[in-house]
Amino acid sequence: MFYRLAGVHHTRYETARALWPIPADRKQVIVAGLIALVAPFFLSTLYLGSYMLPWLIWSSAALSLTLLMGMAGQLHFGFASVMAIGAYTSIHLARLGIPFELALIGAGAMSAVIGTVFGAAALRVKGLYLVIATLAMQYLVDWVIINVPAISGGAQATLRTPEVSFLLFPIESLTSRYYLALGWAALLAVFLMNVKRTSFGRALTAIRDKDFAAAVIGVDPFRYKLMAFFTSSFMGGVTGAMLAFCFYRAVTPEQFSFNVSIQLVAMVLVGGLGSVIGGFLGAAFVLLIPIVLTNFVAGLAASGWLAISSNLLAHVPLMIYGALIIGFLLLEPLGLAKIYDNTRKYFLVWPFRHSRS
Amino acid sequence: MQLETKRAGAAAQSAETLHPNWKREDHLIAVLAKNAREHGSEVAMRERDHGIWQEYDWKTYHDTVVAFAAGLDARGIGADDIVTVIGDNRPNLYFAMLGAICLKAIPSPAYPDTPPEELLGQLKREAVRVAVAEDQEQVDKLLDLKEDYAGLELIIYDDSRGLAGKEPEGVVAFDAIVAEGKARIDTEPDLAADLISRASIHDTAILLHSSGTTGVPKGIPLKHGHILSGVRNAAAAGYFRNGEVHMAYLPIAWVGDFIFSVGAALELRFTVNIPEGQETALHDLREIAPTLYFSSPRAWSSMLTRIQVGVAESTRFKRWLYERFMPFAVELERARLAGHKPSLGERLRHRVGDILIYGPIRDQLGLARVERPYTAGEAIGEDIFLFFRALGLNLRQFYGQTENCALAVAQAPDDISLSTVGRAFPGVEVKIDENGEILVRGDNVFDGYHDNPQATAEALRDGWLHTGDAGYLDGNGEIVVLGRVSEVVHTKDGTRYIPTYVENRLKFSQFVKDVCVVGKDRPHLAAIVCIDIDAVGQWAQENGVAYTSYADLSQNKAVYDLIEGLVAKLNAQLPEGIAIRRFVDLHKEFDPDDGEVTRTRKLKRDVIDDRYGAIIDALYSRDDEIEFEARITYETGQTGVLKRRLAIRDVADGKA
Repeated sequence: MFYRLAGVHHTRYETARALWPIPADRKQVIVAGLIALVAPFFLSTLYLGSYMLPWLIWSSAALSLTLLMGMAGQLHFGFASVMAIGAYTSIHLARLGIPFELALIGAGAMSAVIGTVFGAAALRVKGLYLVIATLAMQYLVDWVIINVPAISGGAQATLRTPEVSFLLFPIESLTSRYYLALGWAALLAVFLMNVKRTSFGRALTAIRDKDFAAAVIGVDPFRYKLMAFFTSSFMGGVTGAMLAFCFYRAVTPEQFSFNVSIQLVAMVLVGGLGSVIGGFLGAAFVLLIPIVLTNFVAGLAASGWLAISSNLLAHVPLMIYGALIIGFLLLEPLGLAKIYDNTRKYFLVWPFRHSRS
Repeated sequence: MQLETKRAGAAAQSAETLHPNWKREDHLIAVLAKNAREHGSEVAMRERDHGIWQEYDWKTYHDTVVAFAAGLDARGIGADDIVTVIGDNRPNLYFAMLGAICLKAIPSPAYPDTPPEELLGQLKREAVRVAVAEDQEQVDKLLDLKEDYAGLELIIYDDSRGLAGKEPEGVVAFDAIVAEGKARIDTEPDLAADLISRASIHDTAILLHSSGTTGVPKGIPLKHGHILSGVRNAAAAGYFRNGEVHMAYLPIAWVGDFIFSVGAALELRFTVNIPEGQETALHDLREIAPTLYFSSPRAWSSMLTRIQVGVAESTRFKRWLYERFMPFAVELERARLAGHKPSLGERLRHRVGDILIYGPIRDQLGLARVERPYTAGEAIGEDIFLFFRALGLNLRQFYGQTENCALAVAQAPDDISLSTVGRAFPGVEVKIDENGEILVRGDNVFDGYHDNPQATAEALRDGWLHTGDAGYLDGNGEIVVLGRVSEVVHTKDGTRYIPTYVENRLKFSQFVKDVCVVGKDRPHLAAIVCIDIDAVGQWAQENGVAYTSYADLSQNKAVYDLIEGLVAKLNAQLPEGIAIRRFVDLHKEFDPDDGEVTRTRKLKRDVIDDRYGAIIDALYSRDDEIEFEARITYETGQTGVLKRRLAIRDVADGKA
């Protein structure tokens, strides 16, 4: 209905392979981009700072992780620790007076190196065993941060982020922090969409489907698994720094604990493995649905519709949330991205059921 | 020698006296040169190749044509040589035709699926020395014919697959000829200017052929002047505009393709788009979304079938929406044609429907940008005609013959009637003679058949073309076409009827692909029906009718019931005394390879009478079934036999 394909033709293969060859898709992207750009001018500080900004940063985190889990098929249950390394590295570098831009790259590099070291486990183990190996990383990194005062600033300490500027713009006001996070999320999204079209992306897909089959067709699993861990950890490290500088502005080890890792995995799964739009949808779901549910249940309780104890009241949203995740994975194992895709195709072939000829 | 030049001079003299109003230097090549000069960088042609569209601008177009002409000239091809062109639509074939025209040679296109013996006949009749073939398949066909016809000196091929590097004697690549020509043009400075000024408006631009429904196909030469005046008449009346986007997917041997894709395309600077192949034509159509679209009633009908099948398979909600809006639009269109002005509510509902249903369907078909959709060739079913008009396409009918460039009569944009084909173009006169035959006169009417004075004398009398169609002018001066004059036949009791008229009305149903009505000197009418496998197959699926093959489905009792219903309905609409009393479902389709229909799917009645004589006799006997062996020709030329017991069904009286 909205998708009009008549007259879309290509005189070069480059345009035929464009990210959005269909005008209606292009329009949607442009509208979404414009809304994101003007959001600071019409959203209240509360919504911009507590919904949009964290959503963008967690989406970036989900995108970083989906490269590893979705495209390369390597499970990672300690991704929060990767972000923690990035966050702490960037703060310490910035405190040393290193420019913020370089501090971000340093954060990424540090996470990438440490992440790759642990990722090397993936060369020997798969599936559940890899999960355990990455869990070990989570706990080791947590332990090191807490117990090395040089990193955490001492037991129970909170490290404040110093004042920095990015490309001459001071990263201080909410708006500037929002735009920085938006820029990073957009960069990651474009990067991931393009990775899928490169030989690197296709090699990752081959490894995901079966690593020794990939080896047979000439894709070196050793190299590409490590590259996947490296790339993903680099992006995760920078995202951790973004989280520290743009959102928390003061970091403690608890912000990167094990349940954050689990939430990240949930974002990627609910959103849809390996999908870019899934990263954004998954982060929105995991981040926003608990808030919406809590408000909803609290509202019901306040108006007297739901007569339960306040103790139970705190748990009801969590129960519904858990049920929703199970429900989603049962009904659409490919996640929100697949639901979006189905909806898009429903309109793409309108008024028929499938495309003809 | 002297005598010959003298005679040639006299011939040229008479050609010029025939059309004193034509200016000599106003010809297709001059128009091409003008386009190249004034609009050199605009896209003239696109061809889809491996998924993307290769573009040719007017300058490339012109340069290729001239270079090809120079190459052909070097090989001794010149005035009045006939060049056979065979293959699907390809830019190089169009360039080759125009290159030949540059040299005053005459391109003579043939259908790509012409069987070898028919092609041989054409080569011999026209004493062809050069042929341009699309690909290896056609080259092989021509090489085989060379054994029987040694006159064929040169075969030029376009698609190098399977040929490049191992060409047999006398086979040359199109590109090689162009390269030779380019080299000549580079060394001889005046050659290019000479080549584009050789042609004259009085030259024959193309030699087309009648479909050969009765006997040997006749050659129909059309001159530059005929084509240009036909196109200009049509443009003056607003039937074509400047710069249309046009889809060249119809066979190049058919008059319409040369007129649209070359004649009108040059004169009005169309962008001509060529699909990757016949199979992808519908898909490519959507990629291009032309502004001008020309299709046969049969193709419109199969498009309608495609939509109906698609909607029947669609999801419940979409189907529900379709049923809310589509029948409404059809009824509204019917009322509008009858003079009803839509109310505000109806207009509003139509707007909503346009967003929800009509627009998306037009987009799916690739007709979203079509402003001038046309149909011609035979009568179009009222249901089909109304459906596409209801869809928001201003579908109109054309009427014409190869002899008048197919540009004679058309419906005006705002004055559509279901029964007539419209009015004559400006510059074209139409009248009905005392026998009820339609006569046409104008600058677009040809000057006589190729080497066939007898047929010319029959068809052209005092400048009037005798179309052979029976018709009359209705009260508004619009032309109603009934059928072929020669086809009027009488049953035993003297009732007069035109088989095609009856057949077309039965073919309006999506379930019937072909039908042959018999009844000459018989007590009543009977029909041999070929079902449409797509539509009937879909119907069978929906109604739980199991079948294995075409032959099996055609003999199914439920299918017989279906067809009987259609025939009974038709009988009720036919005039008193004409009714199909019995019919048989044939277990194979009529196929041009078997010679039962022409390439344009017109029935060859004598072949059918001869081959299915046993069935026809059975139709007039008391039997209710017959065992029959049908001969089948495969594409390789081998023949096989399909044996089947066919049921014969009496039609219940529709008027009861």
